[in-house]
Amino acid sequence: MSLAADPAPATPLLRVRELTKHYPIREGIFQRVAGHVRAVDGVSFDIMRGETLGLVGESGCGKTTLGRCVAGLQSVTAGSVEFGDTGNIDTLDPVQYRAFRRNCQMVFQDSFASLNPRHLVIDLVGRPLRVYREASGDALTERVVELLEQVGMGRQHLYRYPHQFSGGQRQRISIARALALNPELIVLDEPTSALDVSVQAQILNLLSDLQRDRSLAYLFITHDLSVVRHMADRLVVMYLGRISEQGPTETVFDNPQHPYTRALMDAKPDIEADPDVPIRGLEGTVPDPARPPRGCRFHTRCPVVTPNCGWEIDDVARWLDDTGDVLAGLSGVERRSDFNGRFTFETDAEAARLEDALRSEATPPPMRAALDRLERQGASVDIVFREVGEVPLTQRGPRHEAACVLDPTLIQDRP
Amino acid sequence: MLDAPRNAPVAEVNNLKVYFQAKRGRVHAVDGVSFEIRNGETLGLVGETGCGKSVTGRAFLRLLPVPPGILAGGNVTFRGADGESHDLLTLSDAKIRAIRGDRIAMIFQDPGKALNPTMTVGQQVSEVFLQHRSKELLERAGLASASGPIQRHARQSERIFDGLLLKLPGYRRHRQKLQSALNAMVCEALAATQVPNPAKLIDRYPHELSGGMRQRVMIAQALACNPDLLIADEPTTALDVTVEARILELISELQTARGTSVLYISHDLSLVRRICDRTAVMYAGRIVEIGPSGDIFRDPRHPYTRGLLAAIPTQAAPRGGLAAIKGSVPELIDPPEACRFAGRCPFATDACHAHDPELASVVGEHSVACFIHYPPPSGTRPSFDRETA
Repeated sequence: MSLAADPAPATPLLRVRELTKHYPIREGIFQRVAGHVRAVDGVSFDIMRGETLGLVGESGCGKTTLGRCVAGLQSVTAGSVEFGDTGNIDTLDPVQYRAFRRNCQMVFQDSFASLNPRHLVIDLVGRPLRVYREASGDALTERVVELLEQVGMGRQHLYRYPHQFSGGQRQRISIARALALNPELIVLDEPTSALDVSVQAQILNLLSDLQRDRSLAYLFITHDLSVVRHMADRLVVMYLGRISEQGPTETVFDNPQHPYTRALMDAKPDIEADPDVPIRGLEGTVPDPARPPRGCRFHTRCPVVTPNCGWEIDDVARWLDDTGDVLAGLSGVERRSDFNGRFTFETDAEAARLEDALRSEATPPPMRAALDRLERQGASVDIVFREVGEVPLTQRGPRHEAACVLDPTLIQDRP
Repeated sequence: MLDAPRNAPVAEVNNLKVYFQAKRGRVHAVDGVSFEIRNGETLGLVGETGCGKSVTGRAFLRLLPVPPGILAGGNVTFRGADGESHDLLTLSDAKIRAIRGDRIAMIFQDPGKALNPTMTVGQQVSEVFLQHRSKELLERAGLASASGPIQRHARQSERIFDGLLLKLPGYRRHRQKLQSALNAMVCEALAATQVPNPAKLIDRYPHELSGGMRQRVMIAQALACNPDLLIADEPTTALDVTVEARILELISELQTARGTSVLYISHDLSLVRRICDRTAVMYAGRIVEIGPSGDIFRDPRHPYTRGLLAAIPTQAAPRGGLAAIKGSVPELIDPPEACRFAGRCPFATDACHAHDPELASVVGEHSVACFIHYPPPSGTRPSFDRETA
């Protein structure tokens, strides 16, 4: 197991450094770029040979985009993905790129969408072999049968179409196709979330057996914590395009250091856990990834938020929009920076109402504490928050990192 | 909750059979299902894809497509708060319309599909009130004795010239009054589901809302008339875990406050264990095990239930060593007289392939349909000690 500490770590199979993927938002008839959705925003991690790295997070946190970038299915905006001892996969020459594509395969969530409904199983599984001129004719058939047998299917399935199989069998076909070229890394994008538990168990067992036999590395993307706890050696927890915590699976589960990881665990307890402990959810929704919150991106929903978590002008709108009509009569917002802005209202009374709301209990105490300046001049209110940079990942234990300000060395004036 | 007085159950399903006509024969989607939902309890209905749990749930509201569906037998009896009991499968269309959404409501799996994309949230929630609470609505608007067109407008049953009449100044004022009373009722219903700023939400369209928010709108719609029975068909499957937990909290809060009984349909065992008082496990159109949740999860008696629980990945199970159930669900086209699980069961004997087990009580209310717990009519009896496969 990779948990064993070794003094001179081997070179990783895959190195991801500061990977960033932004999707442009286009508007108007000229399709002018109006902003960017920051799907993945500066993510770094390694995958060792033969190891399973679990990637968890809610929908929209960028985990699928990250998987597609790693598999080379999506160009990256910035940062690098380095595979083996070759360089960044974006700058490989065609020969090296072909070698990379052989060595890194992908299994998708929806096996209906990822298997061509007009192709027979022999074409689907044999396609990679044909493309890379590995086999043809009878040899190809034999190779495909061999692959099907490895995933628990057989010769009788060769000449059938995908719709003739159940969801579990289709996922087996996808896995056989991914195995065809003997890859070193397989990106598994929610491979079992469309399956029933009894079938999920079959597929997870199959994946574990294949990994043991072939010393495969997996990037296992899922939202299911019990699956990832069972499968992964190491865990990366993502929120809104950034890593909030990473470390060896057991360490993270036993001692989660980020409030978001803790929230995920409280929301979905194990079947083994005490059924009388109530499940707890999170308030609010995931903020817009086109304008991710400053500081810690989780601060808008965090149950243990502090004044140092990056309160900003947008939070005034986020909080007060939901509490009655404090922002009624707002005529303009002048933003000097993300932390400094002026709200202008139509009348003095409306401005006074915002000022009062920001000083009252309606505003969360950490947000009030983060206010450096709150001044009303006639119909406008000046608001200045404490400036806070991105919260970096900090060491929490051996190979265990979390991006949270709740750490004695980082925080001075915790209320 | 289990100690609550056991008065008459709010609904009883008796030997329900729903078949679907396919080219190759009749698919026995639900084949002789019987259970009761007690007053104020949450009954969990768990099973894998295609086991008939959703069809059973939809039978309560007669939302089954007939044809190709065939209601082949059995009945679903509903006893409302008024004490009257109805057989939901044979009730007239007008009467079932009066019950649907008023006395029995449903929350669907995918709020994105269950809400109408062309109507605002306010319009959709107000439909419930217009259909079932028009009298109360007119009273709140102070229009209890208003004339015909307004009355009909409040019931959503306008006649051909009512549209024109309602544009006349006198009627228009009444209509505006009605609309503001309606908005107030909708806001109250939405506020009960803890949505921030319901007044703003009313004018939004479903696509503008997040998944959790849409599900809240659907819950508001379902609970608007304080139903006696709520059918929740996988209400949180499409949601993220953190949102799922909030929605579950909300459903159980509203349930406790209003005394609604809930039929909770789900494939997620760990969830059902937490929120349901009793659990019924379905397999291939049959209930194989039913009983108090505590008993079922502490001491599962049916090999299928045991298999399902063992298949959930846990920390303790060695990697690659999950106890998967072999094979897949059998085709349900004209199934033979045998235990449906016999083909996949590690303990099956010849008796299991020749006879059909029936639900029988093992301990108290915990019932199982398996020959391990009572002797089959003939042949060898299976037991947990011997494994055949």
